[in-house]
Amino acid sequence: MVVRIRLARFGNKHQPFYNIVVAQARSARNSKPLEVIGTYNPVPQRPTNLSDEEARSARPYKEVSLDRSRAKYWIGVGAQPSDGVWRLLSLAGIGDGRTKTQN
Amino acid sequence: MPPRVQNQLVTNSLLPYLSSSSTSTSTISKIPTQCSSSSIPSTSRRTCRPFSSTVASQTRLRNEMFTWLNGEGAALKNYVPGSTNYLTQIKERDEQPTGRTRPFPLNQNFVSESILSEELRNEIYDRVVNQKKSVRAVSVDLGVDMRRVGAVVRLVELEKRQKQQGKSLALPYARAIHEMVPTTPLYEDTRDNRNRPHESINDLPVHKLTDPQIFYPVSESRQFNRVDAGRVFSAAPALENKQVTNDTADPAEAISRITQKPSNIEIVGKGEAEQQVLQPADARIPHPHLVAHERFRQSKPTEYREIFKAYNERLRQEETAEKERKRLAKERQEQQQMKVQPESSRFEFRFKDVVVSKETTGSDGRGSKAPGLRYGVPSYERKKGQVKIPTRVEV
Repeated sequence: MVVRIRLARFGNKHQPFYNIVVAQARSARNSKPLEVIGTYNPVPQRPTNLSDEEARSARPYKEVSLDRSRAKYWIGVGAQPSDGVWRLLSLAGIGDGRTKTQN
Repeated sequence: MPPRVQNQLVTNSLLPYLSSSSTSTSTISKIPTQCSSSSIPSTSRRTCRPFSSTVASQTRLRNEMFTWLNGEGAALKNYVPGSTNYLTQIKERDEQPTGRTRPFPLNQNFVSESILSEELRNEIYDRVVNQKKSVRAVSVDLGVDMRRVGAVVRLVELEKRQKQQGKSLALPYARAIHEMVPTTPLYEDTRDNRNRPHESINDLPVHKLTDPQIFYPVSESRQFNRVDAGRVFSAAPALENKQVTNDTADPAEAISRITQKPSNIEIVGKGEAEQQVLQPADARIPHPHLVAHERFRQSKPTEYREIFKAYNERLRQEETAEKERKRLAKERQEQQQMKVQPESSRFEFRFKDVVVSKETTGSDGRGSKAPGLRYGVPSYERKKGQVKIPTRVEV
């Protein structure tokens, strides 16, 4: 069986919030995972406490928390990231940086 | 309840509404009894009611009311714009100034607190934004709480932005409020603002650790002061004798060491119960440097210049320590955070480092410090009574 790094949806209706989890591929989405290695909040947050100049160029941000060493370890032992997690990991500089389609 | 029948007795339609009989809601069934028990001499027969020569019981009071309105109360009819118009001011106008803050003569416990006048408000904004003075210094100079100084700066900023955007301001409302409650003026000599402050600026917030009453026997030969009391409250062992003598020799230095480097405060307890030792009140008040200032002034009462210089120096030290602390905190936060702005996205991604280990997740994997939302823990998000309105502003 394949071990995957994928997202498990928490939060409420219209308020998604994800745990980044390491789980068996065939297990249910929100079942208890092998390990939780981070979170992902896809709702863009508006940056605050900026000066006028900064506010003009500032982008809304999405928060990701991630244990990098655990992510690297799981990929090293053959865990397969799902598409969304692959994107996040490549943004964080983990993995080889190629997109999955090229792979 | 019997049905309400309007008796149509007001014959003169030109009669003002107020002077019509107040028994207009009385019922027909009651009228005969009122007639028989009438004892009040009729003072006003102008509301000629058929079958009744009774006068409503309130009429006397109403008459008294109009007498008062035309006599004593006439003073309140026209008020001086820009000042309060309280009932209590009639009697106390000349005697004492308490009439300015107590609007209700029968409720002496109600005191209306004064608000900042426009001039004082603008002065605060000017000092903080244009003259680049610290919030701490402005708070002491003008006698306004530090939190209020911050709020004033934010709100004036907001007002300016609204003016710039051409939005209308609720000026009549503001004017009305300023006439309903007393205001703290900006005195000609701004030293008066310091002597007669808007509010108490050095209030000590109650700490949760001081709630329990502790019976703690101390031998008479030992000195027991606030520092020791704080240690007892947080269940820390007593200080070494050597350090106690050092601290009592230079209390100002001991306090500034705590306020300028709060990371050095001793930590007691294990695991979840880990906490900093409760510090004495002198260190926890908003302006600890004022205590040192006062102590210095007592020691050298006549050397004003030296006192002033020492005060400024103390303030500067306090400010630089605060700035340094903020800078370090920001740096630490930046270090923990990685910002990525991909070209293909409108958004920025902020990566924060977390740790998954036995320390955070615990031996059973259910520790509260573990990253992510937890499994098998009920979420009270949708429960009744959850307050979701933010109660504070993070600045």
